[in-house]
Amino acid sequence: MTSSAQARLDRRAFVTGLLSAPLATASVAPARAAEPALRPPLRRLATLDYGIAETLISIGQPPVGLVAPNDWQDWVIEPPLPPDVINIGSNREPNLELLAQMQLDAILITGYSAGIAHRLRQIAPVFEFSLYVPEGRPLALAIRMVERLGELTGRQAEAKAFLAEMDDTFAQARDRLAAVRHRPLYMLSFLDNRHVRVYGANSLFDDVLQRLDIPNAYQGASNSWGFANLGIEELKPDPDGSLIYFEPVPPDLLASISRNPIWNSLPVVKAGRVARLPGLLIFGAVPAAMRFARQLALHLGPEGRARG
Amino acid sequence: MADTVLAHRASRPFQPWMLAAGLVLPAAMLSLLSLAGTLPPALWTQALLAPDMSDIRQLLFYDSLLPRSAAAVLAGAALALAGAIFQQVLRNPLASPSTLGISAGAKLALALATLWAPGLFAFGSEWVALAGGAGALAIVFALSWRKGLSPLAVVLAGLVLALYCGALAAALVLFNEHYLLGLFIWGNGSLVQQGWSTVTRLAIQIAVVGGLLALMIRPLTVLSLEEAGAQSLGVSLHGTRLAALSLAVALSAFVVSGIGVFGFIGLIAPALARLSGARRLRDQLVWSPVIGAGLLWLTDQLVLRTGGIAGGILPTGAVTAVFGSPLLLWLLPRLRTAAAPPRSEAAPGSVSVGRPALIVGSLAILLALGLVLSLTLGRAPDGRWAIAGFAELSGLMPWRAPRALAALFAGGMLALAGCILQRLTRNPMASPEVLGVGAGAAFGLLLAIYTVSAANRELLLAASCAGAFAVLAVIVLLSRKTGFSADRVLLAGIALGALCDALVGAITASGDPHALLLLNWMTGSTYQVDGPQAVWAAGCAVVLIGLTALCVRWLDLMPLGDAPGQAVGLNLNRVRFILLGLSAVLTAAGTLVVGPLTFVGLMAPHLASRLGLRRALPQLAGAVLVGGLLMLVADWLGRMIAFPWQMPAGLIATLIGGPVLMWLLARK
Repeated sequence: MTSSAQARLDRRAFVTGLLSAPLATASVAPARAAEPALRPPLRRLATLDYGIAETLISIGQPPVGLVAPNDWQDWVIEPPLPPDVINIGSNREPNLELLAQMQLDAILITGYSAGIAHRLRQIAPVFEFSLYVPEGRPLALAIRMVERLGELTGRQAEAKAFLAEMDDTFAQARDRLAAVRHRPLYMLSFLDNRHVRVYGANSLFDDVLQRLDIPNAYQGASNSWGFANLGIEELKPDPDGSLIYFEPVPPDLLASISRNPIWNSLPVVKAGRVARLPGLLIFGAVPAAMRFARQLALHLGPEGRARG
Repeated sequence: MADTVLAHRASRPFQPWMLAAGLVLPAAMLSLLSLAGTLPPALWTQALLAPDMSDIRQLLFYDSLLPRSAAAVLAGAALALAGAIFQQVLRNPLASPSTLGISAGAKLALALATLWAPGLFAFGSEWVALAGGAGALAIVFALSWRKGLSPLAVVLAGLVLALYCGALAAALVLFNEHYLLGLFIWGNGSLVQQGWSTVTRLAIQIAVVGGLLALMIRPLTVLSLEEAGAQSLGVSLHGTRLAALSLAVALSAFVVSGIGVFGFIGLIAPALARLSGARRLRDQLVWSPVIGAGLLWLTDQLVLRTGGIAGGILPTGAVTAVFGSPLLLWLLPRLRTAAAPPRSEAAPGSVSVGRPALIVGSLAILLALGLVLSLTLGRAPDGRWAIAGFAELSGLMPWRAPRALAALFAGGMLALAGCILQRLTRNPMASPEVLGVGAGAAFGLLLAIYTVSAANRELLLAASCAGAFAVLAVIVLLSRKTGFSADRVLLAGIALGALCDALVGAITASGDPHALLLLNWMTGSTYQVDGPQAVWAAGCAVVLIGLTALCVRWLDLMPLGDAPGQAVGLNLNRVRFILLGLSAVLTAAGTLVVGPLTFVGLMAPHLASRLGLRRALPQLAGAVLVGGLLMLVADWLGRMIAFPWQMPAGLIATLIGGPVLMWLLARK
């Protein structure tokens, strides 16, 4: 395994970044120490990943630039995104010219963007955090990311407090879900009315289920992002299980799936132990894990409709 | 012993039923095996007649495995029947729902409707698909009408249209990845079934269309005789053809909307039926569907047995496409083409019109102006338009200059390649996009991404170069066999492009996160270009343009036909070989920067000749300048129109180039 969650900083790239910074900003760049450890706390940050962005917001250092902020409301929802965050384009192709004019202290990326890291390093130091790696435990990596971001931004205390809040959230959710702890849970997204994406080992929410002592009903193989694409007939029917599915749900899907005999034969569907969860950042970090735990407690807990 | 076997074989030639049995029997065996693995045979009658829905094994047996096999059989038969009809009516052994662009058109229509007009599905998705498929065929006919619907012209138009639809679908996915992932699974032909509703509807549709076609066997048989003879027999030629074509389009669209896209089954099955001895129309219409059904059934059973790629779904249709497109290559040399390709208007070697030096000079000034504007005119961080002053420019230059310059040089190289190809083949449709070298570069990229875990930039570059050259080698070998027949080289290239499309489709459907990066490149993004790459592109352009300049005399002679060249003592095969090689290297270098589907190599030479640049040297120079300008503008537009989002330059060029390409195809 590579230095997945550990932030990496290519020293030479950093120096080139320094050299080109005065050019790129057309103003006198603030003096920065060459040694990362000696640098003052990072303040002006841009990130290409919602998971990093929500973590930054949670420790009180929101990013100044984020990819596709308009979709935040569909995918992340909470914590809310500060309104003045600058749209830096798409996560595949963030606008370099724009980033270069933002006088950034650092750019935070995931392994997904490793292919453009060499370009980003010409703008500002780049830190890479990868939560989704083969055989990885995303939640553990996300927790380390909270600590590391706390160090980088000089907000160790906030990071610590946030992790304590996380433990509280998990503990509360665990209590509220005590009644359904024996029910293996299917977590899936619909691809169409015949195929689903099931989240298993290696997924953030699988780690959360472990913290809540709820078994994951899907024990099959999954990729490094923690999911597997399956035909619905491949779901193992569990008489005691329950099932949740995530937004977005393709248009017309619920009508057509209600006519699918295989779907209807699943014990969870027969028993009505199916819940639709609102937008959740499936490939997110600690805030997404907490939101998931809260939503799960809401939908499967004592007041939930789908507890059965 | 051997002698008797031979004699036996000679006395009883290969029969269609043998092939059909060879496909259907193993498929049935595998199918029975997987059925038995799910449910003990003792319970089969119960599961069939009165399935116990609380028993999951019976449920899987009755509602999953059986309808899946039925879907494979129905889809295979319908597509093969459609293919056989197309081939018969168009007298074109390469016609099929895939090669006529019908499946791609239906798929694009469904994707567009999913995104922007989901209300249309209230009428039933098959009608949306039918509209798309019929629209595609109408476009293909319109494009090849003036060439008398000649087999090569029709298939060329169909495959180009299919690639164009594919590029548009790729663009849709880039911007709507979340909603269209499911579409990709369906679009690549997953035969997964749950319940009988889809299968039943498809069976009824096929039965109706098949019944109507059965009524048409006699007129269709007459049609296969001499056209004049048919007319004297009182058969309405146009009416019969139109009716048969409509029914075949309907068959294809029903399969696409109900189950998905299965590449090339409609091409393979009739070809296999013919090869196994089904010569008469009646035999073909009977055996093609049987063979198609067996083929898809067997493929699907094998896919089912091997399972998907780790944690993914391997759609059966993607598998048939990957195996089917090479068959197109193999069929090509067997296609008899009597008519020579029409002489290109773009490349008559006659006197030049106007004042070439003035025109080329003006183009150069225009390009310089465009470059200045592209580097200075942009949008500020808050989205306002702004012309960068001298002070800001030094900060912006590292981000704007490399991609603008690389796009410019890539456009120039592709234009030059297109110019050489059009002069060499005397075919106005020749272009590097159509040559398949871009597809080759994509293969190399794919291979590198999936075999090396941490592929860096240099490795990707080397891999796509290797892929481009491998395709070049294949094309040179193929075309050598056929004496460098221009159309065949083009069709071979398009077939490779289709294969590439199929592979990319399979990977996208698997849900692999790499797929989006790949799509990025396929749509021609200049985003990744940095200083060294721009310098590399410029160096390639300068060297290759210089080499091309040495070949100007050949390029003046080639459009005139073989005789003048032979008269001045040229070794024509060697000249062709060198020019083809040169254009392939130009294509590889250009494609690496702006992706495989820009159509700049097609547009630029035409625009140059429209400006009055007819002789080789001015046309080459004009094409390079026009091509550079086109890509420069495409890159600038891509940076500006959705700021701060960036549209890939190649995609912008495709969107501009597509209609130009259609217009060129439609001309005589």
